[in-house]
Amino acid sequence: MKLRNLGVLGGIAALTLTACGSSATPVPTTGAAATTGPAATTGPAAGSIAVKIGIELPMTGGEAPNGVPTANGVALALAKIQVPGFTVTINQQDDAVNGVHSATQGATNIGTLVNDASVLFVVGPYNSSVAQAEIPVSNAAGLMQCSPANTNPGLTKTWGGVDPKTLRPTNPDKIAYVRVATTDDLQGAAGADIAYNLQGKKTAYVLDDTQTYGKGIADVFETQFKALGGTVLGHDSPPSTTSDFTSEVTTISGKKPDYVYYGGVTTSGLGLFRKQMAQQNMASTDFGGGDGINDGSAATASSFLQIAGDAGDPNTFSTVAATHDIPGLDAFNSAYKAMFNTDPGSYSAAAYACTQVFLQALKSVGTGVTDLAALRSAVRAYVATPSNSYDTQLGTLSFDANGDTSQKVISYYGFDATSKDWKFIKQRDFTQQPLGQ
Amino acid sequence: MTAEATALSGPRFPVARLRGPLILLLVILASYAVIAFGAGEQAPAQFINAVTIGALYALIALGYTMVYGIIELINFAHGEIFMCGSFVSWSVITTMGITGAITDIPRLVIVLVVVFLISMLVMGVVGVIIERFAYRRLRNAPRLAPLITAIGVSFILQNIISVGISNSVVTIPQLIPNTKLDFGVFSISVINVFVIALALALMVALHLFITQTRLGTAMRSTAMDREAAQLMGVNINTTIAITFFIGSALAGAAGVVQGLYIGVTVFNIGFNYGLKAFTAAVLGGIGNTTGAVLGGFVIGFLEVISQVYGYANWSEAVVFGALVAVLIFRPTGILGQQLADRA
Amino acid sequence: MTATSTVPPRRPSPIGRIRAFFGGHQSLAIIAGAAVVLLVLPQIALLPPFSGFGTQKDWVGGFSNAGVFVLLAVGLNVVVGLAGLLDLGYAAFFAIGAYTYAYGASPFLNLHIPFWIMLIVGAAVAAAFGILLGAPTLRLRGDYLAIVTLGFGEIVPVVILNANNYTNGTNGITGLAQPSAYGLFGVDGFGFSNPWPYFVTVVGIVMVTMILLYRLQDSRLGRAWVAIREDELAAASMGINTVTTKLLAFSIGATTSGLAGVFYASKLGVVTPDQFGFTVSFTALAMVVLGGMGNTLGVAAGAFVIYEIQSTGLKQLGQVVQSLHLPVVALGPIKVDIGSINFINYQYLLYGLALVGMMLLRPEGLFPSRRRRQELHEDTDEVAEFKSAETLEAIDR
Repeated sequence: MKLRNLGVLGGIAALTLTACGSSATPVPTTGAAATTGPAATTGPAAGSIAVKIGIELPMTGGEAPNGVPTANGVALALAKIQVPGFTVTINQQDDAVNGVHSATQGATNIGTLVNDASVLFVVGPYNSSVAQAEIPVSNAAGLMQCSPANTNPGLTKTWGGVDPKTLRPTNPDKIAYVRVATTDDLQGAAGADIAYNLQGKKTAYVLDDTQTYGKGIADVFETQFKALGGTVLGHDSPPSTTSDFTSEVTTISGKKPDYVYYGGVTTSGLGLFRKQMAQQNMASTDFGGGDGINDGSAATASSFLQIAGDAGDPNTFSTVAATHDIPGLDAFNSAYKAMFNTDPGSYSAAAYACTQVFLQALKSVGTGVTDLAALRSAVRAYVATPSNSYDTQLGTLSFDANGDTSQKVISYYGFDATSKDWKFIKQRDFTQQPLGQ
Repeated sequence: MTAEATALSGPRFPVARLRGPLILLLVILASYAVIAFGAGEQAPAQFINAVTIGALYALIALGYTMVYGIIELINFAHGEIFMCGSFVSWSVITTMGITGAITDIPRLVIVLVVVFLISMLVMGVVGVIIERFAYRRLRNAPRLAPLITAIGVSFILQNIISVGISNSVVTIPQLIPNTKLDFGVFSISVINVFVIALALALMVALHLFITQTRLGTAMRSTAMDREAAQLMGVNINTTIAITFFIGSALAGAAGVVQGLYIGVTVFNIGFNYGLKAFTAAVLGGIGNTTGAVLGGFVIGFLEVISQVYGYANWSEAVVFGALVAVLIFRPTGILGQQLADRA
Repeated sequence: MTATSTVPPRRPSPIGRIRAFFGGHQSLAIIAGAAVVLLVLPQIALLPPFSGFGTQKDWVGGFSNAGVFVLLAVGLNVVVGLAGLLDLGYAAFFAIGAYTYAYGASPFLNLHIPFWIMLIVGAAVAAAFGILLGAPTLRLRGDYLAIVTLGFGEIVPVVILNANNYTNGTNGITGLAQPSAYGLFGVDGFGFSNPWPYFVTVVGIVMVTMILLYRLQDSRLGRAWVAIREDELAAASMGINTVTTKLLAFSIGATTSGLAGVFYASKLGVVTPDQFGFTVSFTALAMVVLGGMGNTLGVAAGAFVIYEIQSTGLKQLGQVVQSLHLPVVALGPIKVDIGSINFINYQYLLYGLALVGMMLLRPEGLFPSRRRRQELHEDTDEVAEFKSAETLEAIDR
C-alpha cells in the first residue's frame, strides 16, 4: 500500500519534472495550443534592451475563437513595427479555465505578468468580468493594461451607481487601464438608433441573458429606445443556459412588437432564440443584438447566423464597438492573412492598435532608460496622460482621463442574403452625433 | 405491485393502480389553469410548449428512475448519455448527407427510424459498458463511491465529445418539417405532435415491458429484493445490464428528440438537462416510472409558468426550489417511491 | 506454562518515537507542520524543476489560492468524511462567506469592518445558513441529502444573480477591502502584488482550523460522528442524538467554507455569482475523496496536490507533449490531432479517469485513515494477514 502511495506521488512528481526544460513558442497561431509562462526570448540585438509585452486573453476551449485572433494581432504588430533600442517579445497568459474565462485565473495571470519585471504593458483582457478582477492588481503594480474588447462601462465610468475608483483602491488617480473599444452605453444607444431611426420601428421587446454584458447593453437599449420615443413592451431575462425558448417566443408573439432586441452572446442561446422565432412565424420581425452576435458568417461554425439558420437570418442587425472604416483595412487584412493563413478576427485590429500605443509610448519615454521598473512606470504615465495621441490601425486616437478611447464609433451591420454574412451598413461617431440626435 | 394495491384488492374500482395516471391528469389540468390565468389567449400554445419540453424531460427522467430503482445509484452520467445521443443523431444525419427537413413522408419515416434505432442502440450499449466497468464493482460499496464514479464518467463523456467532435454549438438539421396543424382555437406544429406522441408511446411501451414481460418482472423483483430475486433464479447482472440498456436507450431517444425539436447540441447540455430530469424523477417519486413522467411534465410546466408570469430568470430557482420543497415535505415524491424495503 | 519468548522487545526507532510524540500531541504537530509548510514550501519553489515554471512570488500566490481549496476540502471532510453526510452543494456556503465579506467591507453598503472581524462574522453567517439548511433536510437518507444539497448549491448562485438590488447581480460587488495587519510584525500591507501576507494568513487559518477539527475528532462529538457514519440506527440506540450531531457536522463544515469564502473574497477584491458554481462544489468533493476521506491531514495534502496539478501541472504537460510532434489521427467524424494536444482541454477527462480509477482501485483515497481502509477492504488479504500476524504474535507470548 505504501509503495503504491509513493508510486502515485512519484508519478505526479515525474509529470511535473518531465515538463520542465521544454521551450515555449512565443507566437501563438490559430488553432494551436496557447503557451503560458515566460516565452523564450530570441537573444536581444546588440545594445538593445529586452522587454516584453504581456497578453492576457482566453486562449483555450470555447473561448479560443475570441482570444487567439486577438493575440495574433499583437504578434503581427510586433513583427511589423520595431522600436530602436528595444527588442520586444511576448509573455502570454491564458485566462480560460476549462474553456471558460475565469476572473480568478485572470487576476493570477496579471500577478504573474507583474512579477515578470521585463513586462512593461499588457494587452487584455477580453471579458469585462475578468477585467473587474484584474484592474485592482495592475493598478496596484502600476502596470498599464490596454483592452481591445472590454465594453462594460463600469470599468472606467460610473455605472449602476458604482464609482470606478472602487476598482483601483491602491492608486485611484493613477490609472493603469485603458481600452480601445468603446463602451456599451454607446452600443446600446446605437442599437436603439438602428431600431427607431434606421428601421423606423416604434415598439420593441427587450431581452437579456442575465450576464454582465448582455444585461448592460439591453438596459441601455431600453432607456435609449424610450428616450427616442419608442415603446418597450416588455423586458425578459431567460437564463443563459436556456435552449428551449419556445414559451418565450410565444409570449412575445402575443405582444406583437415591431422589433426584438436581445442583449447577450451567442453561447447564451441567441441563435436558437432567433431560429425559434422563425419557427413561430416571427421571421419577418426585426431582430437586433450587440457585438455578442456579430461572430461570423452563416458558414462559420457555431456563429449566431449559422445557428439561426436560413429562416432566421434575414432581418437581423448587430453592432460592433469599433470603427469599420479603419484606414488601410485591406493592407491590414492581407498582412494578417500572410502571417497566419486566415482572416483576422473582430478584435485583431484593436489588439494591433493597443500594441501600437505601447510601442509609441515606449519610443517616447524609452530613450536612454535602462531600468525596467522605471520604464514600466514611464510607459504607464505616458499612456495615462490624456494629451497624448497615437497613430494606430484604428485611426488616430487618444485616451481620456478615465482610460476610454476618444474614438466613439459604433458600426452597424445587417444580414445580407447574398453573402450570407453581416454587411456593414454605416457607422456612427458619437462624438460628432451625440446621443439623442 | 405496491402494498397499497394488495390492500385494495377485490371487486372494486382499481383506484390504486390508476392513482398515478389520475394524479397526472389532475396536475395537467391544474397547470393548464395556471397557464391560462397568466397567458390568456396564448394558453393553448404555451400549454403545448410545456407538454413538449416536459416530454423530453420525462424521457430522460425515466432512465434515472429505473437505474435508481434497481441499484439505488444516482447515475450522474445519464445526462451525458442524453447529450451523446444527440451527437450520435447528428453524426448519423450528417453522414446520410441530410441538410434540412424532409417533406417526402416515406423517406422521412425511414430516416427517423434509422436515426432513432442507431442512437438508441449505441447509447444503450454505452450504458451497459459503463455499468459493467465503472459501477458493477461498486455495487456494495458505500454510497459515495459510485456517486463519485458516476460524476467521473460524466466528465469523461463530456470531454470526449468536446475534444473529439466540437467544443461549441453543433447544429443538427431538423428532419421534421415545421408544418402547422390548425385546429381553430389553437395550432400545433407537427414536430410537437411527434415529440409528444413518441414520448407517450415509449413510456407506454416501457410500462408494458415492465409489467407484462418476464424480463420486466425480473427487473421489478431485483428492485424489490435482490437476494430473493437471485434465489428465484433471476440473473442479477443481466437484469441490471438490461435496465441500464433500456434507460440509456431512452436517453438516446431523448437526444434525437433534442435534435428534432431544438436543433442544436453542445457538449455541456447534459449537466443542466440531467439535473432537471433528475429533479423530475425525484419529484414524481424515484423508482416509479409513472412518477418520472409526472415529474417531467411538472418541471416543464414550472419552467413555462415562470416565463409566462415574467420571472424567466428565476425559472431555475423555481425548479430547484420545488425539488428542495418536495424533498423536505414529501421525500418519497408525489406518487411515492418504489424501492426495496431496507431495514 | 508459557513458552519463553526469545525475541527481545524492540526498541522504538527514532522515527517511531517522533511519531509517537506527535501522535500524542496533535496540536503541536499541526503547529510544527504549519511552520514547516511556511518555511519549506517557498524554498521548494526556488528549486530547479519548479523555478522554471514561475518566480517564487508566482508560486506563493498559487499556494495562497491552493490554501482556499485546502480549507474547503478540510471543511467538507468534516461533513462527508467524518459524519458521512453527502454534500454536493458546498459552494453555497463558500458564496455566502464571500458575499458576507463583500457586504461588510466594500463601498456597496459603505461598511468597512476589518478583515479579521469579518472572518468571524462570515464564519458565523455561514454556520447560521448551515443550520438553516440542515435542520429540515438532515433527516433524509443519504442520496436524498445529496440531491437537496445539490439543489441548494444551484439555487444560491441563481438567487445572487437575480436579486439585483441586494447583490448587484451579475456585475458583482467590487472594491472589497484588503486585510490590514496594522503594522504588526513589520508587515507593510496586503497589497495586490504582494502574496506573502496572504500566504501566511491562509496557512494560519488552515492551521487553526485543523487544530480545532482534530480536537473535535477526538471528542465525544467526533466519536458520535463516526458512530453515525458507521451505523446510524446503532448509534441512535446508544443514546446519540443523531439530529443534533449531524446538524453540528453540517454547520461546522459550513463555517469552514465561510472562512474560505471571506479569505477568497478579500484576496480577489471582487465577487460575482459565476465564481460559485457546481464546479467548486465538485472540486472540493473530489479533493476530499481523492485525498482520503476522514483523514484531515490527508485531505489537506490531497487538496494541495490536486490544486497544483490543475493550475500548473496540466499546462506544463501540454508543452511536453507538444514538443514531441506526434502525427494526426482521424477516426470517421471524430478527428484527433495528437500533435497539438492542449492538456488543459483534457483536464476534465483526466479528472474523470482519476476519479473512476480511484473509486475502483482505491476508494479510501490517497492518504486514508486506517479505519476507512479497513472498511473498504474488508475481504482483502492484507487485512487478513495483519490480523493473523497479530494473532500469531499473541499466541507466541
